[in-house]
Amino acid sequence: MQSIELDAVVLGVMDYGEADKIVTLFALEQGKLKGLARNAKKSRKRFGGALEPFARLRLQVTLKDGLSTLNGADVINVFPHIRTELGKISHAAYACELVEQLVAEGETNTRLFRLLTAYLEHLDRVPQDASDRRFFEANLLKVLGYQPELARCACCDGELAAMQQLRLAPSGTGILCGSCARTGRPVSSDTISLLIRSLSTGRFGLVRFPPEGLAEAGAILDAAIACHLTRPLKSLAFMEQVSC
Amino acid sequence: MIHFSRSLTRLLGELKKLPGVGDKTALRLAFHLLKSPDNLSALAESLLEVKAGVRFCSICFSITEADPCHLCSTERDSTTICVVEEPQDILAMERSRAFNGRYHVLHGALSPLNGITPSDLKIAELMQRLEKGSIREVLLATNFTVEGEATALYLTRLIKPLSIRVTRLAHGIPLGSDLEFVDAATVQRAVEGRSEL
Ligand SMILES: [Zn+2]
Ligand SMILES: [Zn+2]
Repeated sequence: MQSIELDAVVLGVMDYGEADKIVTLFALEQGKLKGLARNAKKSRKRFGGALEPFARLRLQVTLKDGLSTLNGADVINVFPHIRTELGKISHAAYACELVEQLVAEGETNTRLFRLLTAYLEHLDRVPQDASDRRFFEANLLKVLGYQPELARCACCDGELAAMQQLRLAPSGTGILCGSCARTGRPVSSDTISLLIRSLSTGRFGLVRFPPEGLAEAGAILDAAIACHLTRPLKSLAFMEQVSC
Repeated sequence: MIHFSRSLTRLLGELKKLPGVGDKTALRLAFHLLKSPDNLSALAESLLEVKAGVRFCSICFSITEADPCHLCSTERDSTTICVVEEPQDILAMERSRAFNGRYHVLHGALSPLNGITPSDLKIAELMQRLEKGSIREVLLATNFTVEGEATALYLTRLIKPLSIRVTRLAHGIPLGSDLEFVDAATVQRAVEGRSEL
């Protein structure tokens, strides 16, 4: 069978037997796939130190249903500066786990690939900023078609821009206006505007949430993401435990 | 399909649980052992002996028969602790003859993706050893994987405030390798960690 080349990010790695590894990848050309790297722990010639979480690789793969065969890998970027900060490592792992959880195998999504690699490159280049995580999440939801409605009330369909005392809908999937909701977490219209801006600019680092806004955006996005997860994220629990 | 006796089937089953042993290897090992009953008894006895006698050292959590282990009880530099992920990493350090301090085995590494958190490792036990006050340096010898780096960074955060020197194994070009074939990240770290001649 023919070996093809893929541009891919490693979403996760599992040891398999004594020397093999099973790697979950998100490839530009192929979407999510799982591959078996035979002898990966011993053969530095074929894989080097490349099969590491969130590394971007040029892979030689023989595609198969279920488990593909990885024939070799060249590193495009291991993001060395991410690896020097615990907070950056956790956030990169979180981004990879989100993609791993929210994407079905074999569905190509070029925009999602660009978003993930742009986030990793940004994390690698600049000091960590909590706004970037929320920017990534907002755009991730958008690219997957899970974007929460931010312009109109989830109940009466009224335009939120003209309304006061907005609240997060209890279902987590939208915002309610003051006349539709008396309970629920309050969110400011400034936060909604910043989220809308996050979705209209394509570049990391342009949108900065103030501290209150960060907490509100967090509540909106965490709830929207939770609707689509089938299990709690390990990297999120990790971040909370090591507080980064 | 060939049918084996119940005891042979059980032996094959146990052998196949070992890393790297599949059907064929299990069969080959089993027949080899059956051909020499003396070897078979010796293997059985040594397995039972290991089970009865080997445990984790209560100080460094390495594998030992005597507690504390010989590395914790013999004459060595007690002001330096080298932290490793697994007991077999101690062997690699000892082979190098470059280190003469004490050890601490974490039994794993932090992993955000696999959900391995500080409470899953022997980190609290390490901190207890450090709080006793005689340690001046901790050498972090966790692996140079994302998990090993995360563990080293986390430990640095915990240990630095105790005014203990924290060092990390140098990360450089493998001995005997041509620079042109070394990956970019390794070269980068080697340049960052360059030394005066
Ligand atoms: Zn309404
Ligand atoms: Zn010991």
